Amino acid sequence: MTEEELAKDLGPLAALTIGVGTMIGAGIFVLPGDAVQSAGSLAIASFVIGGFIALLTAFSASELGTAMPKSGGAYYYVNHALGPLFGSVAGWANWLGLAFASAFYMVGFGRYVQDIVGVGGVVAVGPFAMTPVKLVALVGAALFIGVNYVGAKETGRLQNVIVMLLLAILAVFTLVGAFRADPANLPASPGVGSMLGTTGLIFVSYLGFVQITSVAEEIKAPGRNLPRAVIGSVVLVTVIYALVLLIMTAAVDQGFIAEVEAAGEIAVVQTAALFLGPVGATAMLVGGLLATASSANASILASSRINFAMGRDNIVSPDLNKIHPRFATPYRSIAVTGGLILVFVLAGSVNDLAKMGSALHLIIYALLNVALIVMRTVDPADYQPDYRVPLYPVTPLLGAVTSVALLAYIDLTLVLFSFGIAAAAVVWYFLYARTRTEKQGILGEYILSRAEEMPEPAVSAASSVQPDGGSYRVMVPLANPEHEHDLITLASAIAKQHGGTVVATHIVTVPDQTALASAAEHADELDETSAQLLADAEADAETFGVPVETHTIVSHRSFEEVFDAARDHDADLVVMGWGPDSHGSPGRVESALDEVTSTVPCDFLVMRDRGFDPSHLLVPTAGGPDSDLSAEVARLLQAEFGSEVTLLHVAEAGEEASAREFIEDWAAGHDLGDAACRIETGDVETAIEAATGDCSMLILGATERGLLSRLVSGSLVLDVVDEVDCSVIMAEKKRRRSLRERLFG
Amino acid sequence: MTDLLARVLLPVASVEDAQATARAVAPYLGDAGSVVAVHVIEKAGGAPDKASVEQRESYAGEVFDAVREQLGDVETDLRFDTAVEDAIFAAAADHDASAIVFTPRGGSRWLRLLTGDVTLHVVTETDRPVLVLPDIGEAAVEGGEAEGSVGAAPESEASNPERADPADGASDDTASVEESAGGDEHAP
Repeated sequence: MTEEELAKDLGPLAALTIGVGTMIGAGIFVLPGDAVQSAGSLAIASFVIGGFIALLTAFSASELGTAMPKSGGAYYYVNHALGPLFGSVAGWANWLGLAFASAFYMVGFGRYVQDIVGVGGVVAVGPFAMTPVKLVALVGAALFIGVNYVGAKETGRLQNVIVMLLLAILAVFTLVGAFRADPANLPASPGVGSMLGTTGLIFVSYLGFVQITSVAEEIKAPGRNLPRAVIGSVVLVTVIYALVLLIMTAAVDQGFIAEVEAAGEIAVVQTAALFLGPVGATAMLVGGLLATASSANASILASSRINFAMGRDNIVSPDLNKIHPRFATPYRSIAVTGGLILVFVLAGSVNDLAKMGSALHLIIYALLNVALIVMRTVDPADYQPDYRVPLYPVTPLLGAVTSVALLAYIDLTLVLFSFGIAAAAVVWYFLYARTRTEKQGILGEYILSRAEEMPEPAVSAASSVQPDGGSYRVMVPLANPEHEHDLITLASAIAKQHGGTVVATHIVTVPDQTALASAAEHADELDETSAQLLADAEADAETFGVPVETHTIVSHRSFEEVFDAARDHDADLVVMGWGPDSHGSPGRVESALDEVTSTVPCDFLVMRDRGFDPSHLLVPTAGGPDSDLSAEVARLLQAEFGSEVTLLHVAEAGEEASAREFIEDWAAGHDLGDAACRIETGDVETAIEAATGDCSMLILGATERGLLSRLVSGSLVLDVVDEVDCSVIMAEKKRRRSLRERLFG
Repeated sequence: MTDLLARVLLPVASVEDAQATARAVAPYLGDAGSVVAVHVIEKAGGAPDKASVEQRESYAGEVFDAVREQLGDVETDLRFDTAVEDAIFAAAADHDASAIVFTPRGGSRWLRLLTGDVTLHVVTETDRPVLVLPDIGEAAVEGGEAEGSVGAAPESEASNPERADPADGASDDTASVEESAGGDEHAP
């Protein structure tokens, strides 16, 4: 088997049980009593309508899931299609919705435990007084959070067994009940309004199918199995809900459910006791415990996938998704979700928790359907779903409309609270995520790429919510005051062209014997040039009108600190000087240094400063990513200073014609069409040296990997850097080993 | 005995484990020895995993980076299996490893019960030599390099590998050399 196949080990049945296992706990074992009381015989209709709304969204989720079988499910699709603003809303709603639903399941779990143990009244725990149900719910929640924190792979497999057992219990219940059913028993219905209100309450029974999409990356042959599991689980549970509700209303006397509920008993357990005696009641009690537990367990697991997907897009801090070194679980995410669940258990009544779970998921379902419509309309080339929604566009439109419409039948305060969460997610996007996330939604790209044809308000709205991924930051580590002016000038010119910021840092090196903490206190004394240097840098940058930040960093190491500082300060580009005596010599063994420099955290420009004169730039190139950067620098300097640019290509003798063609293509491809092109033959360094005669500045791309590592180890790349008379800028592109290289390199 | 470390398989479970294992094995590796680091993503086998596969793969990248930071560009192997030890044995066979080398991760009996005792499985079910090295501790290595005096300089152990004194290390784990020559020495 290939790696891919080994990683995907969820078969069709396993995928189906995730959905069924998450949904069935709530629908059958907790809510029927309330539903029958408030909607009478129409309780069946409430469940069927809920199932219908869920099914419409299940079609959309299936199509999106087969097109993008990625971890994170609903959040991922919304973020991908509608952009990070809506992604933030969907992510937070999905995360908190699952926490509310888990709290609801745990309160249901508490009711079952209480029914078995038979303790009533109020329990006082320290200063808190609470019902035994809530106490058990808290303990149960802590238990299942703990199980997921430690991560027992057995719980997942247990889920399959639990689902089979539940289906068996319910099948027997339905069959036995069917013999007793009598239409005369059906209670009166208080009307359509209360039926829809009941649908809002019981909709929490239909959240499980999206959880299948959150583990889509682990499903075997997702193109076939994912739609089957998602749609199949909704259809299956809808049928089960309808049958069980039918039995509970038609096979017992009118008023029985109300009596039972009033006595604080669980409706479905008492109904089973009526049919099958103590055996039936016991089976239902055990079933209820297992069902609510497995629903909560699956929801906690799913919420950590949503956190992971949000962290991957920087909507929340990726630190939330650290893997535990021992348990190999996303322990922080589970702990935070667990904390939320405990708070919700304490704060809400069982019905409020159910409705909050429903309302937040209805918001997501509406967005999910809109996401599908956007993907179909824009139809990007890489959108190739194996499954397609039937009756498009009616199905997703109806799915979105019914999801929103059902919100109207949930208590206004709870709906407002849900919208408050969505609004907070929007605020979160603008205050936190917008400067961090880089991914632009398909919708935003589509509108902005057709700015002329689109209505003006749409374009301005789309551009005003675009992620900016942070502004362009140019870091300048300063060491030698002589070169401060030239380095800052170069950095400011580039920052100005990008509309970015200059970050001037002075790295003060102290001997290993000096503790960093005490050195920091005396930083000024240790290096009194620091303050002056940074003040000069600030003044120089301000002449360009570029915003400037200054930092002093105290470190034992010098060169490696540049890398760390570049990461810490989110630099996009580092402009640094390099001479015989700048930045010290490397302090660690070479292999470690190679490791440091094999991952270059951002673009680097290393300047051998012999005066800053950008009037005539020489850019030698042989193609490749590092000379892309030198071309970009030349272009930016040209834009800022009106420099003359000469491109140089050194070719083999006799191939001048193809070399000419190459350099002209290259110039055009890098927006340097107006540059002079020069072809030389023979030795590269001699040719470069000869060509610099007319020029004021030489911009070299790193010809191969590791320019920086060789700079610091003292073996300079090209003698030409030392031999020419003008300033030399050496450019090295950001380089990060791909995941594939890191895993299989 | 020189052949024992000709091609060692390093099972590495976490970044910390990778650092400890690489640190421990580095002094013993001759010029001829080669290293394969293996990280196993435990699959639930027909149920959702503890963490997203993509998340675990990116963590595996960090783990391998930690090995490379100490040992340079070693071979790496990422495996998926429902039993970690099976994947380790399969990797050892595929890479024709001369020995499986690791540092003990410690932990209480309860922790082992919760996480599954991979160490015990590896030691009792192996078909090739298993070498358990003491975790010499970060302080020992860095201190040794920076000041060149205090701490257990790994070089001093290298001259006498079999008698590496665990008291030198910062770890309280005991060094032990477990070997079993062939498949017929399985524990009962």
